[in-house]
Amino acid sequence: MVNRLPRGCVNVGGELASAMEECRRIFLSFFENWGYSPFLPSGLQLLESAWDKLPSQVRSRLVALTTPYGEPCCLRGDITLAAVAYLASHYAPEEQPLRICYCDRVYMKSAPPRTSIESFQIGAELLGWEGEGADAEMLSLLLRVLDALGLERTTIALGDSTFLQRALASAESAAAESLADALRKGSLPDYFAALEKGNIPDFYRTILSAIPRLRGDISVLSEAEKLWGRGAPLSALKTTAATLESQGYGNRISIDLSLARDPGYYSGPLFEVYSWESGRSLGGGGRYDRLLSSCGLKGQAMGFALDLEQAASLSSFPSRRSPTMAWAGGLSPEEALRRAADLSSDGTRIEMNWNGDRNASLQAAEKRGCRSWVDLASGTAFTLFPAGKGVAS
Amino acid sequence: MMLTIALPTGRVFSDAAEMIAGAGLPCDGLASPGRKLVIEAGEFRYILAKPSDVPLYVSYGTADLAFAGGDVLLESAMPVVELLDTGAGRCSVVVAGPRSQAERFRGHASELMGLKVATKYPRIADGHFSARGVQVDIIHLHGSIELAPKLGLSDCILDIVQTGSTLRANSLEVLEHVCDVSLRLVASRKSTALRWKEVQSVMNKISSHVKEKRP
Repeated sequence: MVNRLPRGCVNVGGELASAMEECRRIFLSFFENWGYSPFLPSGLQLLESAWDKLPSQVRSRLVALTTPYGEPCCLRGDITLAAVAYLASHYAPEEQPLRICYCDRVYMKSAPPRTSIESFQIGAELLGWEGEGADAEMLSLLLRVLDALGLERTTIALGDSTFLQRALASAESAAAESLADALRKGSLPDYFAALEKGNIPDFYRTILSAIPRLRGDISVLSEAEKLWGRGAPLSALKTTAATLESQGYGNRISIDLSLARDPGYYSGPLFEVYSWESGRSLGGGGRYDRLLSSCGLKGQAMGFALDLEQAASLSSFPSRRSPTMAWAGGLSPEEALRRAADLSSDGTRIEMNWNGDRNASLQAAEKRGCRSWVDLASGTAFTLFPAGKGVAS
Repeated sequence: MMLTIALPTGRVFSDAAEMIAGAGLPCDGLASPGRKLVIEAGEFRYILAKPSDVPLYVSYGTADLAFAGGDVLLESAMPVVELLDTGAGRCSVVVAGPRSQAERFRGHASELMGLKVATKYPRIADGHFSARGVQVDIIHLHGSIELAPKLGLSDCILDIVQTGSTLRANSLEVLEHVCDVSLRLVASRKSTALRWKEVQSVMNKISSHVKEKRP
């Protein structure tokens, strides 16, 4: 019988599922060690609560439905909102800042090149801190966790929505919208056409003309500062970039002041994570103080989310060692399981085999790609190399 | 590390190849590639791909840069960074049909409800008509679009037009202008984030060449 999945949905198994589980475990345990509490959001969100608060790009791709209780809802398209709303209602103001981390599925209408409507997100949020440090903490932890996941060949492209928004504020709203839209779409011809048409003071026109090329290493920040002069809205980004550089991550960050995400949602430093091995962004995040205040919380909000499936497929985990096959070898199940438990107590990953025939068990281990085979009855062990060339050990 | 540039085969290949040569980028073997699909010259690797596949190569980061038609970019809706309008291969996307349909297009939008539109650009057609609240029946064809109204398969077509001679030869006329398109230089989002200096250098060279050529 064919078990057809709904279009756009996905089952994940095999090595990728193992790698995703490994990444999830490492990610959550890493952030828990830094005081971030795990959060498990509801699969559904009320449309009336979500609609105004979500970025427009998420809103236009929500999967709407009605619950059996007749309430208009959407499948969770974003975990941040659920997390912020939960923290706002479950914690007193004096308990701030609040830190959470999560790993769950999100559902959104597909957008090219993806065809699936569901994906797995891992992320973390730091909410309600009023002073310095939150941006640097989040980005520093992100870089560390990328390393822990075996994703050393990744770079964070850092921008700042304040810089762009302050420059755009000088333009009439229609022109500002066209300019921001062109940057979001990634169309420089449209951007420069909108710039030419717009009625913009010369000072800001010069800055806006330069924005698409203000990308590269950290020296771009000095270039941007020189261009703007005194009062350049770059202090948060400069502090964060300097902190990361002092931690030895200078070669893992790049600056992109043309980075444009939803201006009504993001309100400070923002970023995208890229791997040298993949064309698509692994994820990203930024400062979203407005959402926090709309939920009645004070202070800053900083967070990010990564695509777990993509992260796992690029991590070193898909090729990790296969388990040891433990052959019961005629022992009673009780005794075989006791000996297997002893074997696995040091962290060895094992898979039981109840085959009555020793050779058949060995062949099964080779077929399944096991790295070793153990006869639990006699204690004989084989290291299995490719093509079944066993070596007794 | 090599910079990979995807070039569309077919109508605009010669324009793209000429621009690379004119910009002074290494291009040995590009003028007459024969059956080769990958050509390496200096620090550049050129991949020759079907025009509709080019945005995909860029979006997945297989190619750092590419030349792609505006129509192909609109239809694919792939997330790429459009760096430059080269102005080459300029033409228009239009709705065209027999003269008998012209009256419908001059009237109220309700006149167009249920219109049958044959096209190889279903996404552009959907975007164009649905933006006006007009529900149409889109017939996705892969070639010889002009035949569709003649054979009664559709009321009109949505296609690219350069001189209009093919339309005239098939007794069709432009009913509505959708947008202008031309050959664009595009880059992958990853490459603009991680290799901006190299990307910018290519963009500047092509841009200078395009400006020099402009009358």
